[in-house]
Amino acid sequence: MIALTFFHCFRRLRVMRSLFVLFAACTMSCETRSTVIVGAKHFNEGYILSEIMAQLLEDRGVTVERKFGLGGTKICYDALAAGAIDVYPEYSGTIAQAILKLDHPVGFVELQEIVARDGKLELLDSFGFNNTYALALSRVAAGRLALKTLSDLARVPNLRLGLSYEFLNREDGWPGLAKTYNFTAQPVGLEHGLAYQAIQENKIDVTDVYSTDGDIKKYDLLVLEDDRQYFPTYLAAPLVRAALDSRVKKILGKLTGQLTETEMQSLNAEVVVSKRSFAEVAHEFLLAEGLIENRGSARRDSRWTLLFARTATHLKLTLIALLAAMLIAIPLGVLVYRLRGMARPIIYLAGLLQTIPSIALLAFMLPFFGIGATPAIVALFLYALLPILRNTAAALFSVDPLLKKVSVGMGLTPWQRLRHIEMPLAAPTILAGIKTAAVINIGTATLAAFIGAGGLGEPIVTGLALNDTRLILEGAIPAALLAILVEFLFEMLEKIMIPKHLLQKAAE
Amino acid sequence: MQTMLPRFFHFQNVYKYYGPAYALRDINLAIAENVTTAVVGPSGSGKSTLLQLSNGLERPNAGRIFVFGQEMDYARLPALRRQIGYAVQGTGLFPHFTVQQNITLLAVLEKWEKRRIRARAEELMNLVSLPLEFSRRYPHELSGGQQQRVGLCRAMMLNPALFLLDEPFGALDPITRHEIHDEFLRLQKSEPRTILLVTHDLKEALKLAQHPVILNRGQIEQSGPCEDVIRHPANDFVASFLKTQLEA
Repeated sequence: MIALTFFHCFRRLRVMRSLFVLFAACTMSCETRSTVIVGAKHFNEGYILSEIMAQLLEDRGVTVERKFGLGGTKICYDALAAGAIDVYPEYSGTIAQAILKLDHPVGFVELQEIVARDGKLELLDSFGFNNTYALALSRVAAGRLALKTLSDLARVPNLRLGLSYEFLNREDGWPGLAKTYNFTAQPVGLEHGLAYQAIQENKIDVTDVYSTDGDIKKYDLLVLEDDRQYFPTYLAAPLVRAALDSRVKKILGKLTGQLTETEMQSLNAEVVVSKRSFAEVAHEFLLAEGLIENRGSARRDSRWTLLFARTATHLKLTLIALLAAMLIAIPLGVLVYRLRGMARPIIYLAGLLQTIPSIALLAFMLPFFGIGATPAIVALFLYALLPILRNTAAALFSVDPLLKKVSVGMGLTPWQRLRHIEMPLAAPTILAGIKTAAVINIGTATLAAFIGAGGLGEPIVTGLALNDTRLILEGAIPAALLAILVEFLFEMLEKIMIPKHLLQKAAE
Repeated sequence: MQTMLPRFFHFQNVYKYYGPAYALRDINLAIAENVTTAVVGPSGSGKSTLLQLSNGLERPNAGRIFVFGQEMDYARLPALRRQIGYAVQGTGLFPHFTVQQNITLLAVLEKWEKRRIRARAEELMNLVSLPLEFSRRYPHELSGGQQQRVGLCRAMMLNPALFLLDEPFGALDPITRHEIHDEFLRLQKSEPRTILLVTHDLKEALKLAQHPVILNRGQIEQSGPCEDVIRHPANDFVASFLKTQLEA
């Protein structure tokens, strides 16, 4: 009976497999779309600028798909180069140093020429403001220490610097800055969204900021003057695929020179300080500048609709990855059991996959799968392999040798032994492996929002960008509940599928 | 070398060694039809190896083994094994199957008709005095003796012409073993089968078998009717083996 139930499950998997193939086919056909996909880096200004572009395009009748909250410059740029998005806002300094790795400063027009050189990408004219890097500390501390410039800062020993990971590592960030000003302090890395709170709670003294940050005002910080002109200019502009419809480029051109630094600072503050939605802020800006006409307020989904949609996406990512992992890992586990020589290499390889940090694995997927659900599913699939594979092989190896001998001696063929004796006896342990993989996947899937896959990670990523705890919890609590629910469902499944006395045995 | 006609079940100049150590050496043994042959000997004598050669769980290094008058065909072992009933010490019942599923597994795999399967299972359970309401129980819910009976039913399901029993009564308490022995003899009397039984217990061998085979260090010391073995031990080993085992 158990054997039958088990194999019914397998039959159902076949349906899921065809869904998976269909899904892969859909994402591959992205070349022939008429929709414009707007990307955004996961920090508030990125969201606002992308939302402004998206709403402007929508106003002119262009269909827009939003891929917001992408995890960093590399992910955005790779996604654009791979054609997974059509446009995202980028900064001239970032393009010059972090992407093109130019060794000398160039003007904006020259940069546009360099970008356009290989005919793939195009840097449109700037929105008008320069959002450069800067270091900031609380006004109170600055007053006490009489700090005004970065040179002043370099003279104060024992200050605690907490810098965002990107700033810490990029060539035009901390390494060059430390050299220019002879900084001796050892900075620690932290998520940018958490830095302001860290300053407020006196955990760190100094952090890197963007000169248009809305938080500067909220947390009453002083931006230190870059007295040696170390930081290059970071003019914000839409970076687009050269193949993008020229009408779309022309519409985006309407935004040229529309934003000053102070204007951008106040838009950022609207979101960060006043906790208003990107959509509202972008909509008001476009109205105020006369770029769109008022056709009723921006569409807003209710909190519950959003929660439901995110949970559904989250489950979809997790489930497809889990089913695909079962399809591969269970037969692989059987293979490992049958061909003992392969056991160690295969299990070590699966273990190696497990040690790759999630974000790194997601970033690694980009050149192959673009952004969105596909790379996320592939990454989750890879993470789910090991627990299922290891449990399958271990369970088969530990089936009572006497029972194996009897089943051979009775005249069962290898396939019959596997199907009627070994797999059913291994089932409790295999199921436990699947449960582990499912719970790991639900947790890891929250990171998938960094590559635009959506799900419950979306509010977490946005919340981190905005330092908005409520938003973070809006994703974190449902994700935790989902993990508990899945654990519970698996326990039910165990009770249905496996005779009680075998479960107790497996627990021993 | 003596020539032998292929008989029902026999070993011809069979050698088996593991590395440099011999498990069996030049075994020549014909197993008579419709009687019980008991291979008995101390541990390490090679008796389990002899049994495992009989259904292809082990392969000989030299010599030939004939089963059902045919030389053993290692390419189609599962089919051959289904014609051989097999029961082992500790029963080896499958814990995830009920009594009914354990007994009928082979018939289900052979795609017997449902009604025929049920009838045969009932017949067998009656034969070994197992209450029919045990059908739906799991092995762990039965006593050792009951489990042993289920194991015998499973071995008899396809009504094989030959039985291999590997110390099947070894794990039972003395009273239960005594009961099962009687049952075994009753079954053999009503419907004689060809049985190759392996045991370390000479008393058991002499009680159940018509034809004991005494094995020591991979060689047959003596084989023949019980009377002969008891009255005329072939050598010192058999004599002392008889003495220690029967006095114990």
